[in-house]
Amino acid sequence: MTSHVARLYSIALALFVFFLTWAAVGARPWATNGAAQTDSRLTALSAREQRLRHESAAVQRLVRHRWAVYRTQLRKRHVQIAAAKRAQAQQAAAAPSVRVVSLPPLTVTRTS
Amino acid sequence: MGTDVELFVDAPRAGGALAGAEDEFHRLEAILTRFRPESELSRLNEARALEAGPELLEIVALALEARDRTGGRFDPTVHDAVVSAGYDRTFEEVPTNGSAVSAGAPCGGAVRLAGRRIELGPNVRIDLGGIGKGYAAARAAHLLSSAGPALVNAGGDIAVAGGTWPVGVQTADGELTLELSSGALATSGRDRRRWRRDGRELHHLIDPKTGTSSHSDLVRLTVVASDAVEAEVWAKALYLSGETDAVREADELGLPCVLVTADGRTRFAGGLR
Repeated sequence: MTSHVARLYSIALALFVFFLTWAAVGARPWATNGAAQTDSRLTALSAREQRLRHESAAVQRLVRHRWAVYRTQLRKRHVQIAAAKRAQAQQAAAAPSVRVVSLPPLTVTRTS
Repeated sequence: MGTDVELFVDAPRAGGALAGAEDEFHRLEAILTRFRPESELSRLNEARALEAGPELLEIVALALEARDRTGGRFDPTVHDAVVSAGYDRTFEEVPTNGSAVSAGAPCGGAVRLAGRRIELGPNVRIDLGGIGKGYAAARAAHLLSSAGPALVNAGGDIAVAGGTWPVGVQTADGELTLELSSGALATSGRDRRRWRRDGRELHHLIDPKTGTSSHSDLVRLTVVASDAVEAEVWAKALYLSGETDAVREADELGLPCVLVTADGRTRFAGGLR
């Protein structure tokens, strides 16, 4: 009887020690100092954020530059269109005036 | 320029202007003819590259621009094709009949303008006969206009400056008169400047696509344009297009035209009635 109780206490103690150890290991006391260090994923995330900010700024600069070039080209194109319209108007004004008449000719055009 | 030139000016004392216009023709001919080895054009064709004078430079630039605008129908690089067809000397010296000639020569070669320098591509030579005559007619008309209203007829290329001038145009049935008060007109056709080789009839209108005398279904085409160079360019380009395309294009561009077809009809286009 005494031996049986002692065995039960031993088993209970063993179980207690086992779960205590499990709890201790599960608590990862050695990781307490490590958490204070920078997480590598956070570092990578931060680096990525920096890179994206940099790229975003570069894209913004590029877009502003292209917009400026586009505006310049648009202004030039408008000037060209205005010049072409003026030239067209001048050409129309200079269009040859010709009609068929029943007069005798002064001179004759022939194959040159 | 191998052709007759008529100068008209409506002014009482225009002797100086007439002499100046005549001198201008001789001066431009000395630059632009391909029949004199000492001309600037001949030196360019011989040397392949040249620091050109203002007139040659301007006319070559005009001709190249016309080549672009007409899709290559007007082309100053037809020189070798014209020569290979037998037109290798002034027209008065070209034999009416002769033995076979070579099968044509390629056209459309490279011509480069860099500043005052003209550079010809390999096997490219330039003929400015037609456009040079138009240019000279326009210059002469401008010079004469200082004395009064003027008309210049350079072998069919007619330029007017001021006044109103009745100009005859040959049709299939005879002749009609156009009253021209500004601009110019020119005629291209195969009814003159033609010769025979080995029984085949050839003429001076080279189709740059084939490098030989054109087979257009037109006999002659007269076009009115804003100046004599334009008239010369479009007369040639529309002639090479043939009747249907020439009428369509003349209507689109508003270029008054008189066309005489090979089957003996006369057509009007470009708003002319």
